[in-house]
Amino acid sequence: MRTWAFLLGGLVIWAVHFFTLYIMASVFLTPPLARTLTMLITLACLGAIAFLAFKARRIEIETATDSWVRAVALLGMGVGGVAIVWQALPALLV
Amino acid sequence: MKSETGFDPALYARFPTPGERPEGELEELERIWCAPRGWQLLTAVNNNYIGFFYVAAAFLFFLLAGILALVMRVQLALPLQGVLPQDTYNQFFTMHGTVMMFLFAVPMVEAIGVLLLPQMLAARDLPFPRLSAYAFWAYFVGGLCFFTSLFFGLAPDGGWFMYPPYTSITYSPGINADFWLLGIGFIEISAIAGAIEIVVGVLRTRAPGMTLDKMPIYAWAMLVFGVMIIIAFPSVILGTLLLELERAFNWPFFDPTRGGDALLWQHLFWFFGHPEVYIIFLPASGLVSMMVATMTRTPLVGHYLIVLAFLATGFISFGVWAHHMFTTGMPNLSIGFFSAASMAVSVPAGIQVFSWIATFAVGKPRYNVPTLFLLGGIVTFVIGGLTGVMVAMVPFDWQAHDSYFIVAHLHHVLIGGMVFPMFAAFYYWTPMTSSRALSEQLGKWAFWLMFTGMQVTFWPMHLVGLMGMPRRVYTYLPGREWEVINMISTVGAFTLAAGVLAFLIDVARNFRFTTDSDAGNVYGGGTLEWLPTGLYSTRSIPVVKSREPLWDDPKLAEDVEAGRYFLPGSATGLRETIITSPLRAEPQYLQIMPGPSAWPFLGAVFTAGFFILLTVQAYIPSFACGILAVICVLRWLWDTDRLVKEPDVDVGAGIRLPTYVTGPDSHGWWAMMILLIVVGMIFVMGVFSFFYLYGVQPRFWVAPADLWSLAMVLPAYGAASGLAWLARYMLAREATELWTPGVLFLCGAIALATGIGADLWSWIASGLRPDASGQGATVYALLGLEAMLAAIGLLMAGYISARNSRGMIVRPHNNSLDLCVLWVIYTAGQGALTAVLTRAVGG
Repeated sequence: MRTWAFLLGGLVIWAVHFFTLYIMASVFLTPPLARTLTMLITLACLGAIAFLAFKARRIEIETATDSWVRAVALLGMGVGGVAIVWQALPALLV
Repeated sequence: MKSETGFDPALYARFPTPGERPEGELEELERIWCAPRGWQLLTAVNNNYIGFFYVAAAFLFFLLAGILALVMRVQLALPLQGVLPQDTYNQFFTMHGTVMMFLFAVPMVEAIGVLLLPQMLAARDLPFPRLSAYAFWAYFVGGLCFFTSLFFGLAPDGGWFMYPPYTSITYSPGINADFWLLGIGFIEISAIAGAIEIVVGVLRTRAPGMTLDKMPIYAWAMLVFGVMIIIAFPSVILGTLLLELERAFNWPFFDPTRGGDALLWQHLFWFFGHPEVYIIFLPASGLVSMMVATMTRTPLVGHYLIVLAFLATGFISFGVWAHHMFTTGMPNLSIGFFSAASMAVSVPAGIQVFSWIATFAVGKPRYNVPTLFLLGGIVTFVIGGLTGVMVAMVPFDWQAHDSYFIVAHLHHVLIGGMVFPMFAAFYYWTPMTSSRALSEQLGKWAFWLMFTGMQVTFWPMHLVGLMGMPRRVYTYLPGREWEVINMISTVGAFTLAAGVLAFLIDVARNFRFTTDSDAGNVYGGGTLEWLPTGLYSTRSIPVVKSREPLWDDPKLAEDVEAGRYFLPGSATGLRETIITSPLRAEPQYLQIMPGPSAWPFLGAVFTAGFFILLTVQAYIPSFACGILAVICVLRWLWDTDRLVKEPDVDVGAGIRLPTYVTGPDSHGWWAMMILLIVVGMIFVMGVFSFFYLYGVQPRFWVAPADLWSLAMVLPAYGAASGLAWLARYMLAREATELWTPGVLFLCGAIALATGIGADLWSWIASGLRPDASGQGATVYALLGLEAMLAAIGLLMAGYISARNSRGMIVRPHNNSLDLCVLWVIYTAGQGALTAVLTRAVGG
């Protein structure tokens, strides 16, 4: 389970970020509050991804499978990070 | 070397084993996996048969829905045509969309998975062959009944997404909409059954050594596909149930005059509906990735990037559902979030396309029929993808929404992303199931006619859409400059159909189904499905050391065929396969597989009968069918959890594996956990509906049931889970003689029924009625779901008692009891949550 959580960590955090933004935008319709919360949630999610990436560097690599899992996981974290920033942009622009 | 399960990977060095295999071993394997004859075909459960039946049935529905499209194109070729009256046209376009999406696209990708995966993973079969058989027959019988509604004028006519209020009882009073709601809800259950089979199959039946990084890219695609079905389909199952409850019992989920909201349907439908597009596309993308590598004679460029793209698509596709609702007046910020996600989802699709282009660039492509379909599919899909990014932009979507531009977009995506890859796959994998390959010459005719027809049909639709032609109109007035464009589209549609006809002629002339004397690896593929196979799949199960084992080890096929790897014969005299660990595919145990049986077929027929008869309001025969279906399913399950006399056996090279395990190591545990996720998702979407209606219609809400009633409800649920757990705990205490697991489990199930009974009673006492408001409807729907789960718990108690009385609940561990305990504990947890959440808000 730990391996799956690590492999999918970046994308799971993206999903948490997206659904939190959706709920937040549906509950708090006033833009200033929604925008502030968006920024806070985004920073928290980016921090979580940075923490995961930091942990990833310390994982012991013994086999080709370990190396492959780490490569995909790190890329997933990168994609998740970019997607989180992209997802937060409407709160600044709309 | 690192191990996941304690298995020593150094043991792989014992393979291939030297020397000859004993005489008669192969003959025994062939006897155990013998082919069905005549009427026995109805009892077949082997993936070679079920997969083939499944593909053929899905293709039949493709042809039927295609014929409907041709008739519609004739109607639209000229203004004011009289080929189809308005009502019939509405039924035609509804059935075209519904059949293509629910009876062709999803079943087809699932069918190809059932056919290919065991061979590709070198498993004897998928882990639940009877479930595959049940899923197929339920789909086929139900689908045919559903389609025939068209001949009686009873087909649904509300469009493939069935928006209320148009589909409410007020505006659609006949049973047409009920056919859709019950028929499709039932077919989705079949899709979920198939998805459970595929997910557990990919994770637990891979050949030893096939670690995650060596897994075929198609298996990755099917894994993500299965998980997406498990997350997405419960939403539409719930939606169809709610709409049917509104139509049948006047529970106002979607009626804004009584605290419901029509947009709730759109949320529920599109939370399923948009991932559905990727559910169709990802398996096709997996097929394309496999074929591109073979056709270019080079490993796929960026294998791990494509895996990442599959995973990213799986996640992001769940964040785009509301882009179908940009014109409904959602809050601006929400629209912005969904627009951003809709653009972002094109990135993983782009990664896949660039990877295929790069593979073509570095390899040496052969321009045969599969390659032509692959290239045609990529070009068409990219066009559809680009128009998809256009409609992801909100101002453009406002202009193009519900116009023919959208029809053009979705057909480019689906035909380019799924249909052309499917035809490529037919040509590529036919030599695996037929004694003759399909014809290159006829195939090229088929491709060019289909490709030309596709572009001629759908390119002009972009234009006519931008010129203002709305979708779903049965005719139009002359003088709007739409005539020529529509005529061109109609000519294109018949050209496309001519291509399909050329393919059918090719199939009739060359396809000859076989399970053991196939045409072989004519394209030079490198993955395991191209090993010599019989109904038992490969003679022995190889150790996998790379992604393209046949390219890297030219002797592999010979060694496998000579039985020099795992499981060269039958170790127990029964059907069996090796269950491996999910990450590193280390052998864990030998699964004893069920053989042919009429019960899955009968269960499927009676299940279909239950739903279809319910639709036509023949209630007594319907419930009789429902009871018979339950009996058939229980009877088929009766044989599946059994011990053999050998606790462990030699599976080759002196390696011994157990023949029975329980808990998280067992494949049954995985299937039950996935089933609970499905049920959990239905519950989550029910809770979403509850809070959504509270959010949009709070003035209709009244005070909830008394909080004191929780003092009775919660302890009952606590007792249910405690007693169920105690039954499992006590089973392991072999010395005790003071109890039976059946009694403890039955007490747990009764406590469950007490919990839901008390909760229901407290709501009835509160005075709230299900037809009073959106609050009443959603509360009673959640209670109804809980009551259904509790009823299944009681049924399980009877089943466990019956097995116990026959001495089949064996000590110290037993899978049947384990899985039923999991069910009761989950149901108790969901019941407690239901009781608390429904009381959390009110007027």
